[in-house]
Amino acid sequence: MPQTEKAQTENSSRDQILQRIRAGLRTAVLEPAATGSDRVIFEPIKNPLERFQQECVANLMECALTANSAVSARQLAEVLQSLPEGEIFVQDHPSLRRLVEMAALGRAIRWSNQGAPGEASQATVTLAEALIAQTGSILVTASCGGRGASVIAPCHIVFAKIAQLVPDLATALSRVSQEQMLEHNSFACVISGSSRTADIEKILVQGAHGPRRLVVILQTGT
Amino acid sequence: MSQTAAQRFLQDAAVKSADLMHREVIQRGMDSYDAAHLKGRARIKDWEAARQKCQEIKREAINHLDRYLLQFEEKVIARGGHVFWAANSEEACTYVKNLATRLGVRTVVKSKSMVTEEIHLSPALEKAGIKVWETDLGEFIVQLREEPPYHIVTPAMHLNRGQIAKLFREKLDPKIDSEDPVDLMAAARRVLRQAFFAAEMGISGANFLVADAGVIAISTNEGNGRLCTSVPRIHVVVTGIEKVIPRLEDLAVLWPVLATSGTGQGITTYGTLIGGPRLSGEVDGPEEFHVVLVDNGRSQLLADAEQREVLHCIRCGACLNICPVFRHVGGHTYGTTYPGPIGSVLTPHLNSIKEFKHLSYASSLCGACTSVCPVKIDLHHHLLQNRRNATEAGATKSSERLMFRAWRHAMLHPRIYAVGGWSMRKALRIVYGLGLAGSILDPMRVWNRYRSPVPLPSESFRARWRKDRAAN
Repeated sequence: MPQTEKAQTENSSRDQILQRIRAGLRTAVLEPAATGSDRVIFEPIKNPLERFQQECVANLMECALTANSAVSARQLAEVLQSLPEGEIFVQDHPSLRRLVEMAALGRAIRWSNQGAPGEASQATVTLAEALIAQTGSILVTASCGGRGASVIAPCHIVFAKIAQLVPDLATALSRVSQEQMLEHNSFACVISGSSRTADIEKILVQGAHGPRRLVVILQTGT
Repeated sequence: MSQTAAQRFLQDAAVKSADLMHREVIQRGMDSYDAAHLKGRARIKDWEAARQKCQEIKREAINHLDRYLLQFEEKVIARGGHVFWAANSEEACTYVKNLATRLGVRTVVKSKSMVTEEIHLSPALEKAGIKVWETDLGEFIVQLREEPPYHIVTPAMHLNRGQIAKLFREKLDPKIDSEDPVDLMAAARRVLRQAFFAAEMGISGANFLVADAGVIAISTNEGNGRLCTSVPRIHVVVTGIEKVIPRLEDLAVLWPVLATSGTGQGITTYGTLIGGPRLSGEVDGPEEFHVVLVDNGRSQLLADAEQREVLHCIRCGACLNICPVFRHVGGHTYGTTYPGPIGSVLTPHLNSIKEFKHLSYASSLCGACTSVCPVKIDLHHHLLQNRRNATEAGATKSSERLMFRAWRHAMLHPRIYAVGGWSMRKALRIVYGLGLAGSILDPMRVWNRYRSPVPLPSESFRARWRKDRAAN
């Protein structure tokens, strides 16, 4: 067993709890053996792009397909024009620098190398690690502009390339493991739509504490 | 004289089940859950295979709990986080309180966590002069009302928009003149937004502890959980030791199944994975990350050969929603942190079987809970086992024992049984004849108080049996 106590100063109950767990586990419990069943739980995804677009609608998020970076830049400018005055937060990445330059926004921009988005940011623009067709989700990590980048502002705009689209959650999660994303990041999140609540009379309200709008600009060409 | 938990349960159940407004609000909420849940299940090709898979994942985790917890701990510590093991509520609360005091915390923002309710963390922090904000809308509402959550997933489902608007006017802003849920959410958002950016500490729970990746997984819709774990400079996770799962890939099934069972969604809006404090080079995130692993009676359940699987529970709330008893008596009547079938099974283990054995009888044993449980816990049989355990532990009243002894005697002596049956029929005929059914003089009062009496048979079963035999 590896020595794990290092950073812990006072943890007097740790051994006692572990002892109780081990003692409890010695009790024989009659359980059926794992079936290792290969029954198919989720319908296989035949057309990832079509499924992703459908799920975006269901998740109350916007997905704009663009043919090339010029169209992507126009799309970005269009979304930003619809928002109130105020600062925009953008993940500091060469591809987004280019996109923002092409879009000629004429707005105050805070780049992620200047720190987290401010409380009053109108929108955040980031990349994603992957898009997931099955659930209409985007996968982000701390590398995508940090933790606050996908939740602080009322509008989150994600710029992604079609090659980033994976069919399902299982593929996305195994990619996280394989590429050791959680070794290099303290945070990752699968985001499926805009922030919402149904805590009052089970009525869906879009835009709770997080973004009211989640916009994916999905570029199919170069 | 103070009431026992059982007396209070009976009293509250009688009041709640006759409260028409409560019935209407719950009916509406449950109807909309039912519709969403069925639709959600239809999205999964083989729901039974999904349940089977989830059961196997949780069984694997619980049967090697020590190994997976240590694996999780090692990873978190390697990233610069802290892991504290708390044997009980007191240890957990003291750890968080001391941490907050040491780091000069004055304001805490909390995202929803039933374990913090179980250990009564907020009162402990408030006693130390720390302001605690519940930031999930439902939790925020019940916090303002100074009452516990009504339901483990939707804490304020017992209230309608009018009641919530009135509450907000009284506690937040007298100018709130709308009852529209959109406006009420916006009002809460305005207040809580300030709290998020003022707080030094965020406290969250965890839906899962992923052993191989060494991260916590939190499922939320509102984004409050995201803000609690992104903005303040300290993040404390308070969770139960049974939340561990072996592999990150297990979430590919657990996430959709939890969402489907919890709210009927295909997946929850934010499936967040956090493994430690902000790493060097990251834009933001807390400087400190602490995970408090709470035992509080859970490890004892491992030694229970019949009920170990109760630790598989992922707290989706499906068994509450389907339970005919929950739907009538409501969440608060249980008087426990975890209401409904899972609470009735679990509470006697976490607290005392003597005080909470009555919950094992707050069930029609219809098995609806077992049929919907996404990790296939045999809930209604565990209620039966708790009944048996309570009796074997001598937790029954002496009057009850006496009556069962008399019953046993009568069952073994047919003549005495016949005399007993005859006198009961006579007595009831007189009581009903005098129009005293349901009155204090009626031996069947418990049943007849709210119902018309069941018609009395003209003769005994034995007499009919003899007659039929003679006729053939």
